[in-house]
Amino acid sequence: MAAKSKRQQAIDLAVLTPLDWVDERTGAVRGTKWFLFRNVPRDISWMQTLGSAALTAFIVQALTGAILAMYYKPSSEIDPLTGKPIAYTSIEAITNELTLGWLVRGMHKWGASVFIILLFLHMGRVFLFGAYKYPRELTWITGVLILVMGMLMGFTGYLLPWDQTAYWATVVGINLNGTAPFAGPWLAQFLAGGAEIGSDTLPKWYALHMLLIPGALIALIFVHIYLVTRLGVSSPPWSSERAGRERAAAAAPSGARAGLVRGSGGD
Amino acid sequence: MGRDLGELNREEYARYKEDTKKEGKGFFPFAMWHDTVMSLVVVGVITALAAIWYFDADGTESGILGPWYTEPAEPGTTDFIPRPDWFFYFLFYLLRIFEWPETVFIATVGIPTICLILLIGLPFYDRRRERRPLHRPVAMVAAILTIISMGVLTWKGATAKEALGSELVLLVPTWAEEQGFADDPQAVSGAELFAQSGCMNCHTYLGEGNGNLGAPDLSEVGRTNDAEYFVRYLTNPAAFGNNVMGSYSYLGQENLEALGAFLAASQGSSEDN
Repeated sequence: MAAKSKRQQAIDLAVLTPLDWVDERTGAVRGTKWFLFRNVPRDISWMQTLGSAALTAFIVQALTGAILAMYYKPSSEIDPLTGKPIAYTSIEAITNELTLGWLVRGMHKWGASVFIILLFLHMGRVFLFGAYKYPRELTWITGVLILVMGMLMGFTGYLLPWDQTAYWATVVGINLNGTAPFAGPWLAQFLAGGAEIGSDTLPKWYALHMLLIPGALIALIFVHIYLVTRLGVSSPPWSSERAGRERAAAAAPSGARAGLVRGSGGD
Repeated sequence: MGRDLGELNREEYARYKEDTKKEGKGFFPFAMWHDTVMSLVVVGVITALAAIWYFDADGTESGILGPWYTEPAEPGTTDFIPRPDWFFYFLFYLLRIFEWPETVFIATVGIPTICLILLIGLPFYDRRRERRPLHRPVAMVAAILTIISMGVLTWKGATAKEALGSELVLLVPTWAEEQGFADDPQAVSGAELFAQSGCMNCHTYLGEGNGNLGAPDLSEVGRTNDAEYFVRYLTNPAAFGNNVMGSYSYLGQENLEALGAFLAASQGSSEDN
């Protein structure tokens, strides 16, 4: 065993020892290495950054959403000071009075559209590359569920500003759910929080929008990324690199080629 | 060949694993670098959209990316055009294609459910190993048709003609003449209510209106029932098996009777007969 320098010993003590301690108990360091230090095909393209772009948009939504939740008040009661609904008043305050509140709300509002667009583009890329095929079927299914959850986030978030646009879009949306056979009327009544959209509706949609659906979404995203890491990134289908392709040279018996060169064999 | 699909799949995947391990590049830092650049672009675009939206609008005054907010929600108003977020436009427009109430669930539940099942099931019915787009003509044609139809539906939903009560009310004299109820003041005031109470966000009448939710055309509805029936229907549509339309009992009995008279007088345009 080679003697370590004093400096090396100090680094071991300060950094590696605690990391080893954590890794021994959680596997976190091995997990991070497994995630970062894996190989991807040499010829993956820019089109294959759309998934991480969607993840970035989701992180923007999560951060701005958390800030908005600190100032937003999900109540349709009338604020005696402004004569307007409390939810609407809190949105006005976030936009007009809170420092950089307009930016946080604007990023959340537009980030939602960007997230949905990126999900569609990402799905289109996966379809084009045929990357949903064996063994990535479950990655595809979790991806579709992420898209559904994303659209539910859009649907539930749209009501929260409690302005005319929000209110009437949601009236239509709830009525659409009401047309479903069997469960429809029950679902519509649950979503409206009663026979009509009113004071019970807003807190319910707020809970769905910031607790239930994001919880499911985060869980799905983790499963999705785990599967991507475990199964590997597929190379483009027109790849000239070997990864995953039939090897023409190896597949053909060497005798055949030799015969062809000599002009005597063939089949 | 005698070898089944599963075996070929596993072989190809094993080759992929081996090749990637031997000849691939590290996810960190190479792929991650591309991801980081792309992520910065995404954050930049979102920030730019937020800034354009904010600085071009002022309160309820709309800029190129819309207003900060519209007026506070007011369940009593009836002349507001309901409109969902853009990624639901395709669904929104589908509703106009199908007739209410018999087939509307095809648009609201049927088609979306089938699309979702097709989407989730994709890897299970498209089981060929071929991945090159040009060698998958069926998949590519299906994808292009899907993109075109989603695009057209979204576009039609976005540009669908909006019916504003204040404009529609100008049509009342024309309606009165065409339907022949000009000398019935109760029917005329019913027609004005009909134009202003948001009925035409969902219903069409003599070629005007939106047809949201696939609600039926009412130009000839007077042929089916009398005024008294329409009043009862408007008071509680659910009692007639209609769970889509809300109750209009808040308009009050006098207004409901005017609407009933107007609907009963709607026997269809004389030109159509």
